[in-house]
Amino acid sequence: MEGLLAGNEDAVRALYARYARPIFTLGLRLLGSAEAAEELTQDVFLAAWRKAARFDPSRGRLSTWLMTIAHNLAVDRLRRETGATRPHLVLMGEVPELLGPDEDEPLIERDVAIRAIESLSDAEKRLLARAYFGGLTAREIAEADGIPLGTVKTRLRTALIKVRRANQDKERP
Amino acid sequence: MTCLEVRELLPELAVGVLSPDDREHVEQHLRWCAGCRKEAADLGQAAATVGFALEPVAVPKGLGDRVVARVRRAAGAPGTPRRARMAAAAVVAAMVAVASLGWGAVMAGRADRFAQRAERAEREQAVALERFQRVLAGVIPGQELPEDETHLGQLAPVAAGSGGGAVLQLISPTILDFVMVIVNGLDPAEGAMPYRVRLVNEGGDVLRAGRIDELDADGGAEVFHQFKTADLTGYATVNVVDSTGAVVLAGVVDQSA
Repeated sequence: MEGLLAGNEDAVRALYARYARPIFTLGLRLLGSAEAAEELTQDVFLAAWRKAARFDPSRGRLSTWLMTIAHNLAVDRLRRETGATRPHLVLMGEVPELLGPDEDEPLIERDVAIRAIESLSDAEKRLLARAYFGGLTAREIAEADGIPLGTVKTRLRTALIKVRRANQDKERP
Repeated sequence: MTCLEVRELLPELAVGVLSPDDREHVEQHLRWCAGCRKEAADLGQAAATVGFALEPVAVPKGLGDRVVARVRRAAGAPGTPRRARMAAAAVVAAMVAVASLGWGAVMAGRADRFAQRAERAEREQAVALERFQRVLAGVIPGQELPEDETHLGQLAPVAAGSGGGAVLQLISPTILDFVMVIVNGLDPAEGAMPYRVRLVNEGGDVLRAGRIDELDADGGAEVFHQFKTADLTGYATVNVVDSTGAVVLAGVVDQSA
Protein backbone atom coordinates (compact mmCIF):
# COMPACT_ATOMS: atom_id res chain seq x y z
CA MET A 1 0.00 0.00 0.00
CA GLU A 2 2.88 2.37 0.68
CA GLY A 3 3.93 1.91 -2.92
CA LEU A 4 0.45 2.61 -4.14
CA LEU A 5 0.29 5.70 -1.98
CA ALA A 6 3.46 7.00 -3.55
CA GLY A 7 2.10 6.40 -7.02
CA ASN A 8 4.73 3.71 -7.47
CA GLU A 9 4.30 2.10 -10.86
CA ASP A 10 5.29 -1.36 -9.64
CA ALA A 11 2.74 -1.18 -6.83
CA VAL A 12 -0.01 -0.25 -9.28
CA ARG A 13 1.05 -3.07 -11.61
CA ALA A 14 1.10 -5.60 -8.77
CA LEU A 15 -2.36 -4.59 -7.66
CA TYR A 16 -3.56 -4.66 -11.24
CA ALA A 17 -2.13 -8.13 -11.86
CA ARG A 18 -4.02 -9.50 -8.90
CA TYR A 19 -7.35 -7.72 -9.08
CA ALA A 20 -7.95 -6.39 -12.60
CA ARG A 21 -9.69 -9.53 -13.74
CA PRO A 22 -12.43 -9.70 -11.10
CA ILE A 23 -12.94 -5.94 -11.31
CA PHE A 24 -13.20 -5.99 -15.11
CA THR A 25 -15.57 -8.97 -14.82
CA LEU A 26 -17.82 -7.09 -12.41
CA GLY A 27 -17.76 -4.06 -14.72
CA LEU A 28 -18.70 -6.16 -17.72
CA ARG A 29 -21.52 -7.79 -15.79
CA LEU A 30 -22.94 -4.55 -14.40
CA LEU A 31 -22.29 -2.13 -17.26
CA GLY A 32 -22.78 -4.48 -20.17
CA SER A 33 -19.89 -3.53 -22.48
CA ALA A 34 -16.16 -4.16 -22.58
CA GLU A 35 -15.55 -0.46 -23.18
CA ALA A 36 -17.46 0.59 -20.07
CA ALA A 37 -15.83 -2.21 -18.06
CA GLU A 38 -12.39 -0.97 -19.13
CA GLU A 39 -13.22 2.59 -18.11
CA LEU A 40 -14.49 1.31 -14.79
CA THR A 41 -11.32 -0.70 -14.22
CA GLN A 42 -9.20 2.39 -14.85
CA ASP A 43 -11.41 4.45 -12.54
CA VAL A 44 -11.12 1.86 -9.77
CA PHE A 45 -7.33 1.80 -9.75
CA LEU A 46 -7.16 5.57 -9.94
CA ALA A 47 -9.62 5.89 -7.06
CA ALA A 48 -7.65 3.29 -5.10
CA TRP A 49 -4.48 5.27 -5.59
CA ARG A 50 -6.22 8.49 -4.55
CA LYS A 51 -7.78 6.94 -1.47
CA ALA A 52 -4.90 4.65 -0.52
CA ALA A 53 -4.18 6.71 2.57
CA ARG A 54 -7.68 5.95 3.80
CA PHE A 55 -7.40 2.20 3.51
CA ASP A 56 -7.34 0.66 6.96
CA PRO A 57 -6.30 -3.02 6.90
CA SER A 58 -7.71 -3.52 10.38
CA ARG A 59 -11.18 -2.78 9.03
CA GLY A 60 -11.17 -5.07 6.04
CA ARG A 61 -9.24 -6.73 3.26
CA LEU A 62 -7.70 -4.89 0.35
CA SER A 63 -9.61 -7.12 -2.07
CA THR A 64 -13.04 -6.26 -0.69
CA TRP A 65 -12.07 -2.59 -0.43
CA LEU A 66 -11.27 -2.58 -4.15
CA MET A 67 -14.43 -4.49 -5.02
CA THR A 68 -16.51 -2.04 -2.98
CA ILE A 69 -14.97 0.85 -4.92
CA ALA A 70 -15.72 -0.97 -8.18
CA HIS A 71 -19.34 -1.72 -7.31
CA ASN A 72 -19.99 1.80 -6.03
CA LEU A 73 -18.46 3.41 -9.12
CA ALA A 74 -20.44 1.12 -11.43
CA VAL A 75 -23.71 1.79 -9.65
CA ASP A 76 -23.06 5.55 -9.56
CA ARG A 77 -22.28 5.51 -13.26
CA LEU A 78 -25.48 3.68 -14.09
CA ARG A 79 -27.46 6.10 -12.00
CA ARG A 80 -25.82 9.10 -13.69
CA GLU A 81 -26.40 7.73 -17.15
CA THR A 82 -30.00 6.70 -16.66
CA GLY A 83 -31.00 9.43 -14.23
CA ALA A 84 -32.74 6.69 -12.28
CA THR A 85 -32.87 6.50 -8.51
CA ARG A 86 -31.57 2.98 -8.68
CA PRO A 87 -29.26 1.28 -11.15
CA HIS A 88 -30.72 -0.75 -13.98
CA LEU A 89 -28.36 -3.63 -14.12
CA VAL A 90 -28.84 -7.02 -15.71
CA LEU A 91 -32.26 -8.36 -16.60
CA MET A 92 -33.79 -10.76 -14.16
CA GLY A 93 -33.38 -13.68 -16.53
CA GLU A 94 -29.70 -12.88 -16.78
CA VAL A 95 -28.83 -12.78 -13.12
CA PRO A 96 -25.45 -14.47 -13.10
CA GLU A 97 -24.79 -17.91 -11.86
CA LEU A 98 -22.60 -17.31 -8.85
CA LEU A 99 -20.91 -20.66 -8.84
CA GLY A 100 -18.95 -20.99 -12.04
CA PRO A 101 -16.54 -23.74 -13.00
CA ASP A 102 -12.93 -23.55 -11.86
CA GLU A 103 -10.73 -21.53 -14.15
CA ASP A 104 -7.07 -21.91 -14.99
CA GLU A 105 -5.82 -19.29 -12.57
CA PRO A 106 -7.72 -19.67 -9.34
CA LEU A 107 -8.00 -16.50 -7.31
CA ILE A 108 -8.00 -16.90 -3.55
CA GLU A 109 -10.70 -14.27 -3.21
CA ARG A 110 -12.94 -16.19 -5.58
CA ASP A 111 -12.44 -19.36 -3.65
CA VAL A 112 -13.35 -17.51 -0.46
CA ALA A 113 -16.41 -15.98 -2.13
CA ILE A 114 -17.65 -19.30 -3.45
CA ARG A 115 -17.22 -20.99 -0.09
CA ALA A 116 -19.05 -18.14 1.62
CA ILE A 117 -21.90 -18.25 -0.86
CA GLU A 118 -22.16 -22.00 -0.46
CA SER A 119 -23.21 -21.31 3.11
CA LEU A 120 -26.41 -19.68 1.82
CA SER A 121 -29.68 -21.34 0.94
CA ASP A 122 -30.71 -21.22 -2.73
CA ALA A 123 -33.30 -18.56 -1.91
CA GLU A 124 -30.67 -16.42 -0.19
CA LYS A 125 -28.24 -16.78 -3.09
CA ARG A 126 -30.89 -15.67 -5.52
CA LEU A 127 -31.95 -12.77 -3.32
CA LEU A 128 -28.37 -11.53 -2.98
CA ALA A 129 -27.74 -11.84 -6.72
CA ARG A 130 -30.93 -9.98 -7.58
CA ALA A 131 -29.93 -7.07 -5.34
CA TYR A 132 -26.15 -6.95 -5.91
CA PHE A 133 -26.06 -7.81 -9.61
CA GLY A 134 -29.64 -7.04 -10.56
CA GLY A 135 -29.91 -3.71 -8.76
CA LEU A 136 -33.35 -4.53 -7.39
CA THR A 137 -34.39 -2.76 -4.20
CA ALA A 138 -35.92 -4.65 -1.32
CA ARG A 139 -39.29 -3.11 -2.17
CA GLU A 140 -39.11 -4.27 -5.78
CA ILE A 141 -38.20 -7.78 -4.73
CA ALA A 142 -41.01 -7.79 -2.17
CA GLU A 143 -43.54 -6.68 -4.76
CA ALA A 144 -42.29 -9.16 -7.36
CA ASP A 145 -42.43 -12.06 -4.95
CA GLY A 146 -45.55 -10.97 -3.09
CA ILE A 147 -43.90 -11.07 0.32
CA PRO A 148 -43.66 -8.38 3.03
CA LEU A 149 -40.96 -5.73 2.60
CA GLY A 150 -39.66 -6.36 6.11
CA THR A 151 -39.15 -10.02 5.29
CA VAL A 152 -37.01 -9.19 2.26
CA LYS A 153 -34.90 -6.76 4.26
CA THR A 154 -34.40 -9.28 7.03
CA ARG A 155 -33.46 -12.03 4.57
CA LEU A 156 -31.00 -9.77 2.76
CA ARG A 157 -29.36 -8.86 6.05
CA THR A 158 -29.28 -12.50 7.12
CA ALA A 159 -27.65 -13.53 3.83
CA LEU A 160 -24.97 -10.85 4.16
CA ILE A 161 -24.26 -11.79 7.76
CA LYS A 162 -23.91 -15.45 6.74
CA VAL A 163 -21.40 -14.48 4.05
CA ARG A 164 -19.52 -12.36 6.55
CA ARG A 165 -19.44 -15.16 9.11
CA ALA A 166 -18.24 -17.65 6.55
CA ASN A 167 -15.42 -15.26 5.71
CA GLN A 168 -14.52 -14.81 9.34
CA ASP A 169 -14.45 -18.58 9.87
CA LYS A 170 -12.15 -18.84 6.89
CA GLU A 171 -9.85 -16.17 8.35
CA ARG A 172 -9.53 -17.96 11.70
CA PRO A 173 -6.54 -20.26 12.10
CA MET B 1 -32.58 9.07 11.58
CA THR B 2 -32.40 6.70 14.51
CA CYS B 3 -30.02 3.75 14.69
CA LEU B 4 -32.98 1.40 14.21
CA GLU B 5 -34.06 3.14 11.02
CA VAL B 6 -30.51 3.26 9.72
CA ARG B 7 -29.81 -0.41 10.41
CA GLU B 8 -32.92 -1.38 8.48
CA LEU B 9 -31.40 0.32 5.43
CA LEU B 10 -27.81 -0.91 5.80
CA PRO B 11 -28.25 -4.16 3.80
CA GLU B 12 -29.48 -2.17 0.81
CA LEU B 13 -26.65 0.32 1.26
CA ALA B 14 -24.20 -2.59 1.19
CA VAL B 15 -25.50 -3.95 -2.10
CA GLY B 16 -25.79 -0.48 -3.66
CA VAL B 17 -29.53 -0.22 -4.20
CA LEU B 18 -30.42 2.48 -1.69
CA SER B 19 -32.01 5.60 -3.19
CA PRO B 20 -29.72 8.66 -3.25
CA ASP B 21 -31.85 10.42 -0.61
CA ASP B 22 -31.80 7.48 1.78
CA ARG B 23 -28.11 6.95 1.14
CA GLU B 24 -27.34 10.55 2.04
CA HIS B 25 -29.31 10.31 5.28
CA VAL B 26 -27.66 7.01 6.21
CA GLU B 27 -24.18 8.30 5.42
CA GLN B 28 -24.82 11.38 7.55
CA HIS B 29 -25.72 9.12 10.45
CA LEU B 30 -22.66 6.91 9.88
CA ARG B 31 -20.35 9.91 10.24
CA TRP B 32 -21.03 10.08 13.96
CA CYS B 33 -22.39 6.65 14.92
CA ALA B 34 -19.57 4.15 15.40
CA GLY B 35 -21.93 1.22 16.08
CA CYS B 36 -23.86 1.60 12.83
CA ARG B 37 -20.60 2.31 11.00
CA LYS B 38 -19.24 -1.04 12.16
CA GLU B 39 -22.39 -2.83 11.02
CA ALA B 40 -22.25 -1.02 7.67
CA ALA B 41 -18.60 -2.01 7.23
CA ASP B 42 -19.35 -5.66 8.00
CA LEU B 43 -22.25 -5.83 5.58
CA GLY B 44 -20.23 -3.93 2.95
CA GLN B 45 -17.39 -6.43 3.27
CA ALA B 46 -19.84 -9.27 2.80
CA ALA B 47 -21.39 -7.68 -0.27
CA ALA B 48 -17.97 -7.07 -1.80
CA THR B 49 -17.15 -10.74 -1.31
CA VAL B 50 -20.09 -11.57 -3.58
CA GLY B 51 -18.47 -9.56 -6.36
CA PHE B 52 -15.61 -12.04 -6.51
CA ALA B 53 -17.91 -14.99 -7.13
CA LEU B 54 -18.42 -14.26 -10.82
CA GLU B 55 -16.60 -16.42 -13.30
CA PRO B 56 -13.72 -14.18 -14.42
CA VAL B 57 -13.37 -13.06 -18.02
CA ALA B 58 -10.13 -12.05 -19.75
CA VAL B 59 -9.15 -8.38 -19.57
CA PRO B 60 -8.38 -6.47 -22.80
CA LYS B 61 -4.76 -6.48 -23.91
CA GLY B 62 -2.84 -3.39 -22.84
CA LEU B 63 -5.32 -2.36 -20.16
CA GLY B 64 -2.63 -2.65 -17.49
CA ASP B 65 -0.45 -0.13 -19.30
CA ARG B 66 -3.38 2.22 -19.67
CA VAL B 67 -4.21 1.96 -15.97
CA VAL B 68 -0.61 2.71 -14.99
CA ALA B 69 -0.44 5.61 -17.44
CA ARG B 70 -3.60 7.11 -16.01
CA VAL B 71 -2.39 6.86 -12.41
CA ARG B 72 0.96 8.30 -13.43
CA ARG B 73 -0.77 11.20 -15.16
CA ALA B 74 -2.91 11.89 -12.12
CA ALA B 75 0.14 11.70 -9.87
CA GLY B 76 1.74 14.50 -11.82
CA ALA B 77 4.69 12.36 -12.87
CA PRO B 78 7.25 13.76 -15.31
CA GLY B 79 5.53 14.83 -18.45
CA THR B 80 2.68 16.66 -16.76
CA PRO B 81 2.86 20.31 -17.69
CA ARG B 82 2.73 21.65 -14.16
CA ARG B 83 3.50 25.22 -15.07
CA ALA B 84 0.90 25.19 -17.79
CA ARG B 85 -1.59 23.77 -15.36
CA MET B 86 -0.92 26.51 -12.86
CA ALA B 87 -1.16 29.14 -15.54
CA ALA B 88 -4.46 27.72 -16.68
CA ALA B 89 -5.61 27.58 -13.08
CA ALA B 90 -5.12 31.33 -12.86
CA VAL B 91 -7.36 31.74 -15.87
CA VAL B 92 -9.93 29.50 -14.27
CA ALA B 93 -9.68 31.47 -11.05
CA ALA B 94 -10.53 34.62 -12.93
CA MET B 95 -13.48 32.88 -14.52
CA VAL B 96 -14.76 31.74 -11.16
CA ALA B 97 -14.55 35.30 -9.96
CA VAL B 98 -16.59 36.40 -12.91
CA ALA B 99 -19.09 33.60 -12.58
CA SER B 100 -19.82 33.79 -8.89
CA LEU B 101 -22.81 35.75 -7.75
CA GLY B 102 -22.01 38.51 -5.29
CA TRP B 103 -18.62 39.17 -6.69
CA GLY B 104 -19.67 42.52 -8.09
CA ALA B 105 -19.24 44.11 -4.65
CA VAL B 106 -15.99 42.38 -3.86
CA MET B 107 -14.53 43.36 -7.17
CA ALA B 108 -15.70 46.96 -6.92
CA GLY B 109 -12.20 48.31 -6.61
CA ARG B 110 -11.07 46.69 -9.80
CA ALA B 111 -11.24 47.97 -13.30
CA ASP B 112 -14.60 48.82 -14.78
CA ARG B 113 -14.04 46.29 -17.47
CA PHE B 114 -13.93 43.53 -14.88
CA ALA B 115 -17.02 44.84 -13.10
CA GLN B 116 -18.97 44.91 -16.32
CA ARG B 117 -17.94 41.37 -17.06
CA ALA B 118 -19.03 40.38 -13.55
CA GLU B 119 -22.46 41.91 -14.05
CA ARG B 120 -22.88 40.17 -17.32
CA ALA B 121 -21.70 36.88 -15.91
CA GLU B 122 -24.10 37.13 -12.99
CA ARG B 123 -26.91 37.06 -15.48
CA GLU B 124 -25.36 34.19 -17.35
CA GLN B 125 -23.82 32.13 -14.62
CA ALA B 126 -24.71 28.84 -16.21
CA VAL B 127 -22.97 29.84 -19.41
CA ALA B 128 -19.90 31.01 -17.53
CA LEU B 129 -19.72 27.77 -15.60
CA GLU B 130 -19.86 25.85 -18.81
CA ARG B 131 -16.90 27.83 -20.11
CA PHE B 132 -15.16 27.24 -16.83
CA GLN B 133 -15.67 23.52 -17.23
CA ARG B 134 -14.11 23.63 -20.67
CA VAL B 135 -11.05 25.45 -19.37
CA LEU B 136 -10.68 22.97 -16.54
CA ALA B 137 -10.89 20.13 -19.02
CA GLY B 138 -7.83 21.70 -20.61
CA VAL B 139 -6.08 21.99 -17.28
CA ILE B 140 -6.15 18.26 -16.74
CA PRO B 141 -5.85 16.73 -20.21
CA GLY B 142 -7.95 13.72 -20.97
CA GLN B 143 -10.28 14.32 -18.07
CA GLU B 144 -13.81 15.58 -18.01
CA LEU B 145 -15.21 17.43 -15.06
CA PRO B 146 -18.85 16.65 -14.55
CA GLU B 147 -20.73 19.63 -13.21
CA ASP B 148 -21.86 17.67 -10.17
CA GLU B 149 -18.23 17.29 -9.07
CA THR B 150 -17.49 21.02 -8.89
CA HIS B 151 -18.75 23.04 -5.96
CA LEU B 152 -18.71 26.78 -5.31
CA GLY B 153 -18.78 28.87 -2.18
CA GLN B 154 -18.15 32.45 -1.10
CA LEU B 155 -15.93 33.90 1.59
CA ALA B 156 -17.11 36.79 3.71
CA PRO B 157 -15.17 38.89 6.23
CA VAL B 158 -15.32 37.79 9.84
CA ALA B 159 -16.25 40.43 12.45
CA ALA B 160 -14.89 43.81 11.38
CA GLY B 161 -12.61 42.37 8.73
CA SER B 162 -12.53 43.43 5.13
CA GLY B 163 -12.50 41.78 1.74
CA GLY B 164 -14.15 38.71 0.33
CA GLY B 165 -13.50 35.74 -1.82
CA ALA B 166 -14.75 32.77 -3.79
CA VAL B 167 -13.96 29.11 -3.53
CA LEU B 168 -14.20 26.28 -5.99
CA GLN B 169 -13.71 22.67 -4.99
CA LEU B 170 -13.47 19.70 -7.28
CA ILE B 171 -14.47 16.44 -5.59
CA SER B 172 -14.19 13.59 -8.00
CA PRO B 173 -13.84 9.83 -7.88
CA THR B 174 -11.48 9.86 -10.82
CA ILE B 175 -9.52 13.12 -10.70
CA LEU B 176 -7.38 14.45 -7.89
CA ASP B 177 -9.49 16.71 -5.72
CA PHE B 178 -8.49 20.33 -5.73
CA VAL B 179 -9.49 23.66 -4.27
CA MET B 180 -9.15 27.06 -5.81
CA VAL B 181 -9.56 30.18 -3.69
CA ILE B 182 -9.62 33.77 -4.84
CA VAL B 183 -9.50 36.55 -2.28
CA ASN B 184 -9.71 40.29 -2.56
CA GLY B 185 -9.54 43.28 -0.23
CA LEU B 186 -7.24 41.69 2.35
CA ASP B 187 -5.16 43.90 4.60
CA PRO B 188 -1.60 44.05 3.21
CA ALA B 189 -0.13 45.05 6.61
CA GLU B 190 3.10 43.32 7.39
CA GLY B 191 1.76 41.94 10.66
CA ALA B 192 -1.11 40.18 8.91
CA MET B 193 0.95 38.44 6.26
CA PRO B 194 1.26 35.66 5.36
CA TYR B 195 -2.34 34.49 5.13
CA ARG B 196 -3.17 30.82 5.04
CA VAL B 197 -6.12 28.99 3.56
CA ARG B 198 -7.54 26.08 5.51
CA LEU B 199 -10.33 23.60 4.84
CA VAL B 200 -12.17 22.23 7.84
CA ASN B 201 -14.65 19.37 8.14
CA GLU B 202 -17.39 18.82 10.71
CA GLY B 203 -15.06 16.85 12.91
CA GLY B 204 -12.63 19.77 13.09
CA ASP B 205 -9.99 18.10 10.91
CA VAL B 206 -8.00 20.65 8.95
CA LEU B 207 -6.44 20.49 5.50
CA ARG B 208 -3.96 23.15 4.47
CA ALA B 209 -4.82 24.52 1.06
CA GLY B 210 -2.13 27.14 0.62
CA ARG B 211 -0.35 30.23 1.80
CA ILE B 212 -0.60 33.80 0.56
CA ASP B 213 2.71 35.64 0.73
CA GLU B 214 1.85 38.47 -1.63
CA LEU B 215 -1.20 40.55 -2.34
CA ASP B 216 -1.84 42.63 -5.42
CA ALA B 217 -2.80 46.32 -5.27
CA ASP B 218 -6.39 45.38 -4.41
CA GLY B 219 -5.40 43.03 -1.63
CA GLY B 220 -6.14 40.12 -3.94
CA ALA B 221 -4.51 36.75 -4.43
CA GLU B 222 -5.27 33.30 -5.77
CA VAL B 223 -4.54 29.92 -4.26
CA PHE B 224 -4.75 26.62 -6.08
CA HIS B 225 -3.99 23.33 -4.38
CA GLN B 226 -4.44 19.83 -5.71
CA PHE B 227 -4.53 17.07 -3.07
CA LYS B 228 -2.60 13.94 -3.89
CA THR B 229 -4.28 11.72 -1.36
CA ALA B 230 -6.87 13.68 0.56
CA ASP B 231 -10.54 13.45 -0.33
CA LEU B 232 -12.24 16.85 0.09
CA THR B 233 -15.62 15.35 0.88
CA GLY B 234 -16.84 17.01 4.07
CA TYR B 235 -14.16 19.71 4.04
CA ALA B 236 -16.74 22.33 3.21
CA THR B 237 -15.71 25.11 5.59
CA VAL B 238 -13.02 27.37 4.17
CA ASN B 239 -11.12 29.83 6.34
CA VAL B 240 -8.47 32.38 5.51
CA VAL B 241 -6.39 33.13 8.58
CA ASP B 242 -3.76 35.80 9.13
CA SER B 243 -0.29 35.32 10.55
CA THR B 244 -1.65 35.36 14.11
CA GLY B 245 -4.09 32.55 13.32
CA ALA B 246 -7.15 34.82 13.42
CA VAL B 247 -9.81 33.99 10.85
CA VAL B 248 -10.31 36.97 8.53
CA LEU B 249 -12.46 35.38 5.83
CA ALA B 250 -14.79 32.42 6.16
CA GLY B 251 -17.31 30.60 4.07
CA VAL B 252 -18.90 27.26 3.28
CA VAL B 253 -18.81 25.40 0.00
CA ASP B 254 -22.11 23.80 -0.93
CA GLN B 255 -20.88 20.27 -1.59
CA SER B 256 -24.38 19.00 -2.18
CA ALA B 257 -24.87 21.25 -5.20
